[in-house]
Amino acid sequence: MTAAVSPQGALDLATRMGAVLMLVAIVLIFGALTPGFLAPDSLANIIKQSSFIGIAAVGMVFVLLTAGIDLSVGSVMYLGPLVAGLLMRDAGVGVALGLLACVATGAVLGAINAVFIVGLRVIPFIVTLATLFLYRGFGTWLVESRQLDFPDSLRGFGLASVLGVPVPIVIFAIIAAAAHVILRHTVFGRHVYAFGNDPLAAQKAGLPVRRIQAGVYVISGTLAALSGFVLISQIGRLDAGFGEGREFDVIAAAVLGGASLFGGIGGAGSAVLGAITIQAVKAGLVFSGVNLYLQPLLQGAVILVAVFLDGLREARLRSLRRRVIRPRAG
Amino acid sequence: MTGRSTFLSALGAATVAVAMGTGAQAATICFAFQDLETEFWVAGHKAITTTLADAGHTVIERNANEDANRQLEQVNDCIAQGVDGIIIIPQDGESAVTIVQTAQDNDVPIAVFNRPPSDTSKGIVVVADNATIAEQAVDFVAQKAMEEITDRPIQPLIIVGDLGDPNAVGRKDGFYAALAKYGDKFAEPIEVASEWDAATALANLEAALTANPNVDMIFTSSDFLFPTIRSVLEPRGMWKPRGEDGHVLLAGLDGDATACKLIKDGLVDATGVQDLYFEAQSAMDAILASIDAGEAQPNQVIEDPGFALTADNLGEREMDMWGCVLLSEGFLNN
Repeated sequence: MTAAVSPQGALDLATRMGAVLMLVAIVLIFGALTPGFLAPDSLANIIKQSSFIGIAAVGMVFVLLTAGIDLSVGSVMYLGPLVAGLLMRDAGVGVALGLLACVATGAVLGAINAVFIVGLRVIPFIVTLATLFLYRGFGTWLVESRQLDFPDSLRGFGLASVLGVPVPIVIFAIIAAAAHVILRHTVFGRHVYAFGNDPLAAQKAGLPVRRIQAGVYVISGTLAALSGFVLISQIGRLDAGFGEGREFDVIAAAVLGGASLFGGIGGAGSAVLGAITIQAVKAGLVFSGVNLYLQPLLQGAVILVAVFLDGLREARLRSLRRRVIRPRAG
Repeated sequence: MTGRSTFLSALGAATVAVAMGTGAQAATICFAFQDLETEFWVAGHKAITTTLADAGHTVIERNANEDANRQLEQVNDCIAQGVDGIIIIPQDGESAVTIVQTAQDNDVPIAVFNRPPSDTSKGIVVVADNATIAEQAVDFVAQKAMEEITDRPIQPLIIVGDLGDPNAVGRKDGFYAALAKYGDKFAEPIEVASEWDAATALANLEAALTANPNVDMIFTSSDFLFPTIRSVLEPRGMWKPRGEDGHVLLAGLDGDATACKLIKDGLVDATGVQDLYFEAQSAMDAILASIDAGEAQPNQVIEDPGFALTADNLGEREMDMWGCVLLSEGFLNN
């Protein structure tokens, strides 16, 4: 016996699974247009290339869950690897210490954002917009806009594999899994959701709201720096324009994967799904040989659909909550 | 006299000319640039600021951080400060038109350096002939490809720049103009968007080579993407010097220090060279001459014909390329 699915149930399912359905649809459409798109190499390449935006998007999900925003991630992607590169070049530190310096720089930059947002109560949009310019300006001042070439050992790291899996994918997987555990299975994670759903109620309940809010910006900064390191480790050179405008890709990936700009909804999986979806669209357009002038239009259209779905989902979930609060008599 | 000493003498003479040619009057020049993301812009910035300063002029620098609206505000601010002239590196061709118009409406002479406005009839426009320079570089690798591959169509790939930048469009046109001469010897080119961004180029080139692994020849619209190309080709065994099996013919455009080194190493075959110092000098000479002549709205197009540095003419023309000069000064070691 099969249970009939009501239209309402189907709508609820589509609302919850919208991001997955979109990714499946995109992969199938491009796969039908160019069968090579579905080849294992091609799919692995999509995941590898999505790791750069995906790692930063995992951090962004933490911020979005608190209904915040971090516009400085593109500049942190630049400044974190820059500090690491200077240490590797001038102090001769190895890849491991360089990586550590990079993520530590990201954490410090995230903490600076947090000081203004939590300590001085300036809204996140303004603070991170300012630090977007501040961090990049500091970086370009450090190297006078010149490119920075990393030692070959870094490229050895970025192009290496672990059991046949490229290092960028391994790092992306570890970060996504760790974020999932933190958000779903730790007190901090539950506090983040509670704060995002209702900051006032969270405060009244005695949650450490300042620490929660500060924590998400530190995480975002740390992961943005790490994502920059992961990409630069593949190229071996950091140009002054690196990471510029990437904040929009990162936010788009998080939202596309199902994180809500209104806070309280999303998870590490959102970032993974969103980043892979964006990369699948880009790769699909390359595979299909779509005119270069049309490619940004199509990418924009996909993001627009995702934001539209986010609005629909928000409205739907709000109506579901209302039903629970006031059940019909009878 | 070596190429380098010729070049240095020319630069020195030009510097003296800037100082002498403008009389004793020191001018205040606003230099508004969109950003300094690559070697080309860094070297251009240095050439302009140091030459002007050495000649006793005051330079007010403004960095728009790739924001066209901010650049317009910065130019307005310079005009309010009463500068004698403006040199800009605009964000794109459209915003350049607005900025040139704003300067001319306020009777301040303006020169646009290297990235031309969509309408080149207004202002002093110093521009490289991107299409011709690209065509020369691509023509060289196209002929090499035809010598090596005779039994099938050759598969070319172009990494395109930001299509909002007239330079990128010119380079793309030059690429197609070079291949058009050889008809069906070349397959339909694969186009890869870079948006002048290494991460975008990396992802798209990976996808393009996964879809089409048998690429014979790659043209990048800017030399700054060579490290990105290497990171895609190397794991596939396609980053080999000339003469070795698996060598992919590579050409670029700009003439930077990395391209110079790679041509010497045999990994890159040609690059189109913009004569950076000629362009910088021309922009400065023209703006200072206008100031001296009291000409508030000078309109002039100064074209840099450029050339292609190739594996074949490296010996003779190496030191005509600004990137090779930087390389010889240890630029890549700093």
